Amino acid sequence: MDESQLIARVRAGDSAAERALYDAHVDRVYRLAFRLAGDDALAQDFTQETFIRAFDRLGSFRGDAAFSTWLHTITTTVVLNGLRKVKRFRQREADIDDAHDIGVAQRHAEPDLKARLKQAIDDLPEGYRTVFLMHDVEGYTHEEIGVALGVETGTSKAQLSRARAKLRVALSDFAGEWVQ
Amino acid sequence: MMQEHEDPKFEQWLKDAARTTYHAPRTPPREEMWARIAAERQRKHVIELRPWMRWVVAAAAVLVIGIGIGRWTARQPSAAKVTPVAATETDSTQPDVVYQVAATQYLSRAEAFLTGFRADARADAHSARFASQARDLLTTTQLMLDSPAAKDPRMRSLLEDLELVLVQISQLGAAQDRHDADLITQGMNQSNVLPKLRSAIPAGPVPVRTEGAL
Repeated sequence: MDESQLIARVRAGDSAAERALYDAHVDRVYRLAFRLAGDDALAQDFTQETFIRAFDRLGSFRGDAAFSTWLHTITTTVVLNGLRKVKRFRQREADIDDAHDIGVAQRHAEPDLKARLKQAIDDLPEGYRTVFLMHDVEGYTHEEIGVALGVETGTSKAQLSRARAKLRVALSDFAGEWVQ
Repeated sequence: MMQEHEDPKFEQWLKDAARTTYHAPRTPPREEMWARIAAERQRKHVIELRPWMRWVVAAAAVLVIGIGIGRWTARQPSAAKVTPVAATETDSTQPDVVYQVAATQYLSRAEAFLTGFRADARADAHSARFASQARDLLTTTQLMLDSPAAKDPRMRSLLEDLELVLVQISQLGAAQDRHDADLITQGMNQSNVLPKLRSAIPAGPVPVRTEGAL
């Protein structure tokens, strides 16, 4: 059964078809949610929310783009909105604390590549970080990213280029790793 | 043409490093997530009306309103009294709208709190602060339970679920172990509090002018 038939069956209320559609896409949705959130509980929440919304709104899916593209639009909306809420909450927490344990100098003294890479990616502006993770890490095309984020393909390319440039500067201590 | 900062060796190294080290996903817990999705879908199916039922309900509502208007106008000796009655009706619906707006703001706050709790409770030693915030939200929850916003059975059920979770969090001590936080999180998952909260919050921003209504 092809995907359009599966979608038609889901629209008709077939719960087995819902499960089949979920099975076909859940891994990629969860991977993207986890890459962006970095937390299993949040990634699970976002994945669930994505599928609940997708099934609720399947009537509005016209099939102009691939189902996976439409689904990843919902995923990025759910994840980015969810992360903004968590960030606002954590910011309020940090404001309450003196936050003296969040010292920048301490982070920059970290010699481990993994920790430095994490910090460098976390420090990217949200748009750059999202495009970098979707393209370079999860393998989405610029066209898919453009649709998912509601931006032009050129914007996605430009943001990726700027993200790489910022990361190159942030990771310059490790230049020996790639200049061989 | 290659831009000045393009470097294929760097890009390949960066991709490899990020793929293997940055938030490398584990195997998704498919069955667990599906169980929660299916439960939420089931809950919505029970509450939502089928399309043909909506027509029946709409037709019945039109009939009831029509009969009501007919009886009401029949009782009026003159048209002069219409305006004060209409004004009274508008006034009586105003508090419900205010409570709905306050409820939306409160639910958004509760959702952000519980999302943060789920994400941070096990990793951080912030239980005392979570407990303090839970107590604040608990007070509001109890006020909401006594308000007209709780007339709606779905809202009441959600507020009761929230009250239970907040009571548990508010009792976390400074020296609590992670086990307590895990148990609370498990309870939240089983009762689907977060998906219920999210579906109860209407889309779109809450008007700023109504902030602090509660």
